[in-house]
Amino acid sequence: MSKAKENKKPKRWVGTSLRRKEDDRLIRGHGKFVDDNRLGEMLFLKMVSSPYGHAKILKVDVSEAEKLPGVVCTLTGTEVASLMQPFMEIGPEPGAKIVDYPMAVNRARYQGEPVAAVIAKSQAIAEDAAELVHVEYEMLDAVVTGEDAIQDKVILHESSGTNLVWRGLYEWGEVDKAFKEAAYVVNIDRLHFHRFTAAPLENNAILAHWEPDGRLHFWCNNSFPTFAIQFLAPALGLRLEQIHVKTEDIGGSFGVKITHYPQMAVCALASRKAGGRPVKWTETRTGNLTASGHCNERTYRNTRVALDKNGVIQAIESRQIDDCGAYTRYEPLGAVIWSQVVPGVYRVKNLRIDFAQVVSNKCPCAPIRGYSRLQHLWFMERVLDICSYELGIAADEMRLQNYIKPEEFPYTTPNGCVYDSGNYPKMLEIAKELVGWDRWVKKQQEAKKEGRMIGIGIGTTLDSGTNNFGQSRIINPYAPFSGNSEAANIKVDLDGNIVVSLGSTPQGQGHETTTAQVVADELNIHPDMVSVRTGFDTEWNTYTGHSGTYASQFAVTGLSAVHGAAQKLKKEMKKLAAYALQAKEEDLEFGVGNMGPELRVKGTDKSINYWGLANLVNVNNAGLPNEIAELTLNCRYIYRPPFQIPDLKRKYGNLTLTYAAQLHIAVVEIDPEMYTPKILDYAAVDDCGTVVNPMIVEGQVRGATAHGIGAALMEACVYDSVGNMLTSTFSDYTPITAVNMPKVHYGHIESPSPFSFNGAKGMGEGGGAALHAISAALQNALFEYGITIDDSFTTGNTLYDALVGKKVMQRANNVKVERGVA
Amino acid sequence: MYPSPFRYHRARSLKEAASLLSELGEGSKALAGGQSLIPLMKLRLVSLSDLVDLNFIPGVSAIEQKDNQIHIGALARHADLEKSQTTAPIPIIHDCASGIADVQIRSRGTIGGSLAEADPSGDWPCVLLTLPVELRCVGPKGERTVPISKFFVDAYTSVMEHDELLSGIIVKLPPPHSGGAYLAFKRSPPVYPTASAAVQLTLEGDVCKDVGIALGCVGLTTIKAVQAEQQLRGKSIDQKSITRAAEAAMAEADPQTDMRGSIDYKRTLVRALVKRATEVAVRRARGEKVEVSHYYA
Repeated sequence: MSKAKENKKPKRWVGTSLRRKEDDRLIRGHGKFVDDNRLGEMLFLKMVSSPYGHAKILKVDVSEAEKLPGVVCTLTGTEVASLMQPFMEIGPEPGAKIVDYPMAVNRARYQGEPVAAVIAKSQAIAEDAAELVHVEYEMLDAVVTGEDAIQDKVILHESSGTNLVWRGLYEWGEVDKAFKEAAYVVNIDRLHFHRFTAAPLENNAILAHWEPDGRLHFWCNNSFPTFAIQFLAPALGLRLEQIHVKTEDIGGSFGVKITHYPQMAVCALASRKAGGRPVKWTETRTGNLTASGHCNERTYRNTRVALDKNGVIQAIESRQIDDCGAYTRYEPLGAVIWSQVVPGVYRVKNLRIDFAQVVSNKCPCAPIRGYSRLQHLWFMERVLDICSYELGIAADEMRLQNYIKPEEFPYTTPNGCVYDSGNYPKMLEIAKELVGWDRWVKKQQEAKKEGRMIGIGIGTTLDSGTNNFGQSRIINPYAPFSGNSEAANIKVDLDGNIVVSLGSTPQGQGHETTTAQVVADELNIHPDMVSVRTGFDTEWNTYTGHSGTYASQFAVTGLSAVHGAAQKLKKEMKKLAAYALQAKEEDLEFGVGNMGPELRVKGTDKSINYWGLANLVNVNNAGLPNEIAELTLNCRYIYRPPFQIPDLKRKYGNLTLTYAAQLHIAVVEIDPEMYTPKILDYAAVDDCGTVVNPMIVEGQVRGATAHGIGAALMEACVYDSVGNMLTSTFSDYTPITAVNMPKVHYGHIESPSPFSFNGAKGMGEGGGAALHAISAALQNALFEYGITIDDSFTTGNTLYDALVGKKVMQRANNVKVERGVA
Repeated sequence: MYPSPFRYHRARSLKEAASLLSELGEGSKALAGGQSLIPLMKLRLVSLSDLVDLNFIPGVSAIEQKDNQIHIGALARHADLEKSQTTAPIPIIHDCASGIADVQIRSRGTIGGSLAEADPSGDWPCVLLTLPVELRCVGPKGERTVPISKFFVDAYTSVMEHDELLSGIIVKLPPPHSGGAYLAFKRSPPVYPTASAAVQLTLEGDVCKDVGIALGCVGLTTIKAVQAEQQLRGKSIDQKSITRAAEAAMAEADPQTDMRGSIDYKRTLVRALVKRATEVAVRRARGEKVEVSHYYA
């Protein structure tokens, strides 16, 4: 049997679809999530939330709630404000003048904002008590769109005096010259990218324990804990080392779990007020949908596009308003992060973007999957598509005309970002083949004769990964962070086991598996012989200030750290084995022998297994020579990508290390009687450089596709004019289900990144390819009906309003072409 | 879930349950499958003093044919009806049962609960309005039988008293050359439809001898589309008459604008759904085996 296994053993584990090590635990229900924790004397917290989008809080009366047996204490906004400092603001003024507490003080600014909390001996009592908290409100006019917010007629934050958070002009190249010389100028009055969210299977959950000695413990599912701690420590008056954060299994984040540090603060204060008893808060689904985090909503006004006579885009200018919801939290980073992908996948050299970010009476934003780049890439894809139809150039031809060419990589964008590698035309070719492009074009023409509306659309997008935090200085020159890093630790344990610990917070990305693959290759052993400890822990695991799982980076940052640590360990193991075996280091090789993993002298049966090595260091160590005595078999490595601080004046520099690409093609038919768009066929092609685990990558691609299709056709965070969120349950938010999913033809190419040790690129976010492809397919089907797809969210109802009511998406009201400008 | 506190009672018979509801008064409610009641309790939109659990009552979930009638116990689960061979002669029942929400809900939710709730968006009220159906109700004062056409009074209101319970649904087997179909447009499977239409008809050659058409989600109650029926009853079935029926149904629909769609859009959906359901019903009446599924976003 072992022989058969031997024969099956691949040359390298990296690159194989190794089954996920974590799945056995997770599928059997043996995973451990925050809510699974039970501590002695643990209490339960329930937030009392504002039912209004914008209201003055006249009175919060907790007396009746506190009388309910089992209630230990309560917290109100005023009390919270007296117990802590407001959270720091990342950006400069005017945004920096916003006073952000984790609970509404005197004024509620979005529906679902916590105004009080009750802490009780059971969840049931807490829920009952929450109903006994009486809050008097005075409703205020709400502002629910970015375009209204920027007019400052209703102002959210009196301390700031304006809804504007940040505004900056991004200009690169020679924009005016390009417009002067253009053969065509296409004007697009308004495009809009809608709000949706991530809806992870597991909602936010926090267990806080503030011990009498001042140490504050958090068991939580925050996916970027180092970021959270840096907000929490100064606000709560603690030193960083007094805060212990631990994560365990996390049921999905997609970025939305980065911004629950306010709730962490509330739980901490509750624990302290309750006399140092642990306090648990588990978010409800409605809480998650209304008050957790939404993606940035963006409106693009007065867009002008200069093109040459062949349809090659020469310049783009646009005025953009990003609506980040009621508080800034992770913002205004979104106001710069889009510029990681300024030209999209195209060779545009001249751009002028007037970018403003505003607050509104909606749920604060979180850096959700595709964060800020997704919004910009959708804009670029719409610009390209709209121009292609206006100029009468086929959408695929238009793309081929404008794509950065394979031989141009590494490609420097107008703002100094370096696209590492890629081959967009090849991806288009593969996607066309997968979807049966020619067949569909034929079918489309036949169907047209019957009055059927079929559209075929391409979405080409980027997933920029491993970001340079130095880009935050473009927003705020005094921002105290830059670069990026991740740590890994690897050791040979007393019993000879290989144990790796990581600074990441995996939420389904399979870090245990891919880490084991890398280490197995380094040590020439089986991945089962590698134990990987995931879960962030400020006390027990290794980490850096950038540690976490976000922004498509583990394949580069995490695995580079693992690789680096393994190199250090191998060096030590060799030194030790050479001493033990009285051999030369260069004669040693790694492998698996009869006594398990070992080092052996090549061509002999002289070997020492890992237990033997560990024994020398840890147990049986009398008489070791000095040069051996310093070895620990416990090696930490920090990976740092080679970033520089960007040139702040020019807003120029390399903002991200790797650029994975996705190209999707959607074939969509609009039901002639119900106007609902139905996906008839779908292809997704991925290029994330060298693939570490094809099965995991394909899973990520399919997941991102589902998220994108859901966002394009089903999922929207809708508010009415007074700030009521109308999609606060799954009945109304309707997250995508398997039944809504088309069959996805999957393909991939590998353009190895020259900038990562393994050629890999981060790829978890997917760049919203499905949103782009569906908008493109609808545009393809409906251009001849005088319709311009100007919104990222489309339902049967909107298409009905467009086609029958002629109320929305009317090209005549939106797009104007100036011909022969040159 | 953490509902408001309530007392729990497990009834051993429908009669006992009815007496309990009578005793306990308006603050009490019967729990069948819990498909709607449990979410309402979870969100605390409903607070009860007492919950009377019907799920342990024996003998009220059978599906049997007696002479030319099918007797369905009120506690029959959607999943039971989805799998039932007894109801196979009435394919519209399978359309309905198999299209409700998801597996978990179909395994718990009951036909009786769905009818008793009288939700204008419910699936069973819409489907059963197109069939000759009698509903058997049990109360502390005894039993009574109500034709389904008289059962629904208003949104979430049926003719049943607070202490009355449904015990069974009696469906008369349709004559030969009958067929029906139930189609809905839903944004995703677990949610209520945006609009739905049920059509059940009997053919004599190309002539529609009898027809029942009902519309869901587009009014305060499920709507029996009598004008639409008139466009088909006694007339020969062709694209023209089907279109006329669909147009009539569109006019009879009385929807409201909400998150799922505007008034005009819902009417448009009704037209399409009635047309398509009628087409399938005709094919089935002619003996064809047709599989249908709801439309999803």
